[in-house]
Amino acid sequence: MTTQTMTEPVQKTSRFSVRSVLQNAGIGLALLALILFFSVFTEHFLTPNNITNILTQITINLVLAVGMTFVILIGGIDLSVGSVMAFAAVVAGKAITLPGFGPAEAIALAIVAATLTGVACGMFNGVVSAYWSLPSFIITLGMLNIARGAALHVSDAQTIYSFPYAFEEFGSAMVYGIPVVFLVALFLVFVAWFVLNFTVFGRLLYGIGNNEEAVRLAGHSVFWYKVAAFTICGLTAGIAAIVYMARLNISSPIAGIGFELNAIAAVIIGGTSLAGGRGSVIGTLLGAFIIGVLANGLILIGLSDFMRQMITGIVIIIAVVLDYYRAKYAAK
Amino acid sequence: MAAASHSAAPAPEQSAAFLSVEGLKKHFGGVRALDGVSFSLEKGEIHALVGENGAGKSTLIKILSGVFPFDAGRILLAGESYQPANPHEAKEIGVQVVHQEFNLLDHLSIAENISIEKMPRTRFGLLDKQEMNRRAREALDAIGLTDIDVKAPVSSLGIAHRQLVEISRALQFKSRILILDEPTATLTERETKRLFDIVASIKADGVTVVFVSHHLEEVFAICDRVTVFRNGKTIATDQIVDTTPEGVVQKMVGRDLAASSRNEEAPRSPGNIALRVESLCTAANPKDRGVSFDLRYGEIVGIAGLVGSGRTEILRGLFGVDPIRSGQIFQDTRDVRFSGPRDAIAAGIGFVTEDRKDEGLILDMPIAANISLANMQAISRSGLLQFSAENRRSRERGSKLKLKYGKLSDPVASLSGGNQQKVVLAKWLARNPKVLLLDEPTRGVDVGAKAEIYTILKELARQGVALLVVSSEMPELITLADRILVLAEHEIQGELQRPEFSEENILKLAYGQTAMAGEQNQ
Repeated sequence: MTTQTMTEPVQKTSRFSVRSVLQNAGIGLALLALILFFSVFTEHFLTPNNITNILTQITINLVLAVGMTFVILIGGIDLSVGSVMAFAAVVAGKAITLPGFGPAEAIALAIVAATLTGVACGMFNGVVSAYWSLPSFIITLGMLNIARGAALHVSDAQTIYSFPYAFEEFGSAMVYGIPVVFLVALFLVFVAWFVLNFTVFGRLLYGIGNNEEAVRLAGHSVFWYKVAAFTICGLTAGIAAIVYMARLNISSPIAGIGFELNAIAAVIIGGTSLAGGRGSVIGTLLGAFIIGVLANGLILIGLSDFMRQMITGIVIIIAVVLDYYRAKYAAK
Repeated sequence: MAAASHSAAPAPEQSAAFLSVEGLKKHFGGVRALDGVSFSLEKGEIHALVGENGAGKSTLIKILSGVFPFDAGRILLAGESYQPANPHEAKEIGVQVVHQEFNLLDHLSIAENISIEKMPRTRFGLLDKQEMNRRAREALDAIGLTDIDVKAPVSSLGIAHRQLVEISRALQFKSRILILDEPTATLTERETKRLFDIVASIKADGVTVVFVSHHLEEVFAICDRVTVFRNGKTIATDQIVDTTPEGVVQKMVGRDLAASSRNEEAPRSPGNIALRVESLCTAANPKDRGVSFDLRYGEIVGIAGLVGSGRTEILRGLFGVDPIRSGQIFQDTRDVRFSGPRDAIAAGIGFVTEDRKDEGLILDMPIAANISLANMQAISRSGLLQFSAENRRSRERGSKLKLKYGKLSDPVASLSGGNQQKVVLAKWLARNPKVLLLDEPTRGVDVGAKAEIYTILKELARQGVALLVVSSEMPELITLADRILVLAEHEIQGELQRPEFSEENILKLAYGQTAMAGEQNQ
């Protein structure tokens, strides 16, 4: 097993190792099997309308899951993204309905407000958990409550309506039947993939997830990298808020309840290890698709929403058990 | 298979040899932890096991207490074959161990800790607290800790008392053999005295005590016999009255070894002082007298000492990993104090840590990524990784160090220990450090790779790098170093120059027998 040869090493770079390709291929195959199954057993699954539906449905989860991937890669977790999304949406909703702005200015203001809110919450999570080395589970559980409370407080527990028409248009726009908001999410996936694979920052995030101490002893500021990961997660919650507002044309302070769990599920099903250090955002993309396809297909097949929820749960558990074996074989 | 055992056949002399171990062998992978261990215990004696770090004492204890099985040989307890399948079985038979590391649960009460292995129950299957507290009281009283409340949490106790609670826990069961693994490491003199009184009374009850210690004066104070370990073998068992501490040290070293591994090369000519350390007290150092020494460019200085003597702490303090309590560090005559590894690295210092797996390497990541870890700016431009530069540099580094690997993209975990260690070295050499701190640079490395690493380190010294090497392997220091500082209890006991290098001299200083060594430094 551990015999080494002195062969002249010729290699592609680390990122495209056989292992990581196989890992994603496995998830991809599972997704393909699901698609095949539903195509065969339902009439409407593989219709343009339904595909558009699925893409629309998974967009928000995908956006949240991209940020969640960063946090889980460093061995953390962020339970607050659903609440932060609601908070950011409410703040942006207040901004967009301020009197005295033209539609373009109002929309710009809303986008800035939502992202800043998300970034601030994420940064808070990161600073507190990294500075005192506290479990992010607890800190973000606190933030879950803080952000939800803040959303209710700022909005007086009222849903905010009547956004500029252009905003609504953006939310329902299509390119060749693909929702523009989904393309935005896809673009985020691409950016995240690039950052994780081609930058020093991304490399060190993987390093921290694997062995924080080794990274620290190599002279890197683990603290700031952790803060950055949480901040990115907050940022995606802010972006998700914008997508949510554009799609539904409202800002509700009770939006996004439980969204954090779906985002975590997408990341885990996508093969990212909860212990950190291993995984990819492409996996997350596939994971979000699996959840979305399951949700959509199971209902088309005639199962109740309750059954759908049960099956999604089973899939999460299967994914983690499979990951256990994958890690075991990889270690050999 | 069985080598000459010290005791005769068990049957006729059962009363004498209570436990006999014959030709015991144990391998971990390719490492021979025990390579023919034979000795015997007499009923009611206090028997010392001594030897260098890694000589096999701990492995033997773990076998006796049922943690590992053994590969070959046999153990007879009171004439019957003894082969415990697990620690529980060993305890049932009456072999109790007080481990060096504490196994107490901090947040539980003393009584709960004492009964943790066998909680008393009421008729209804609930925890019988009264009985539990009564038993704990009894156990503590038995060793004279009458003033301690059994309901108090263990976390409220000092280290010495925790040790005593461990002992009382072991003693509440019917012990036939009580093994104490370095019981005095954390105790003060008075507490040690108290422990010895307890041990003497246990012995009076007919219990056989095995005493593992790095402190020979303790061995000579309370033990009846002593068995010396070296390289996984038992060298000899002596009556304490028939031997001397010097005699024991000589056996621990092995005279032949001491002579053969002398550094034969011409002495290097060190340059200016790279680091000057003055009265450096690390946070882990319980005393106020720190350590002082110089490290020059082009020189290899070794730091010897037993585990726990504060060797690693010095390196961690210098590198800014652990806080420093007092003292000064001068680098190139400038007064420096690194607030973290980042500062130390920026100042041209590298640190090859003791534990590759936990601190040195990111095992699941590629070889190339590990080599570049401390030198990211060289393989990136405005934050973007330059994979071709990374691969080229890693390849060059690898071939310089004769690194054997399949592909640079393979995870480091796929390499052998020696090659993993070379990756750690490559990581630091990528920065061309001026000063390199090394903690156990060849631990878990096979002989061939060891020699290669020695060559690399000597070559670095020739190029003018200042090297500070901590090692538990004395032949390693004797081969590598220009000078050896010997630590004991966080103080430099002495400094040996090359002509004085011998395992015997190192051990004498490490065991605190300062008077017998040559020049004293501090």
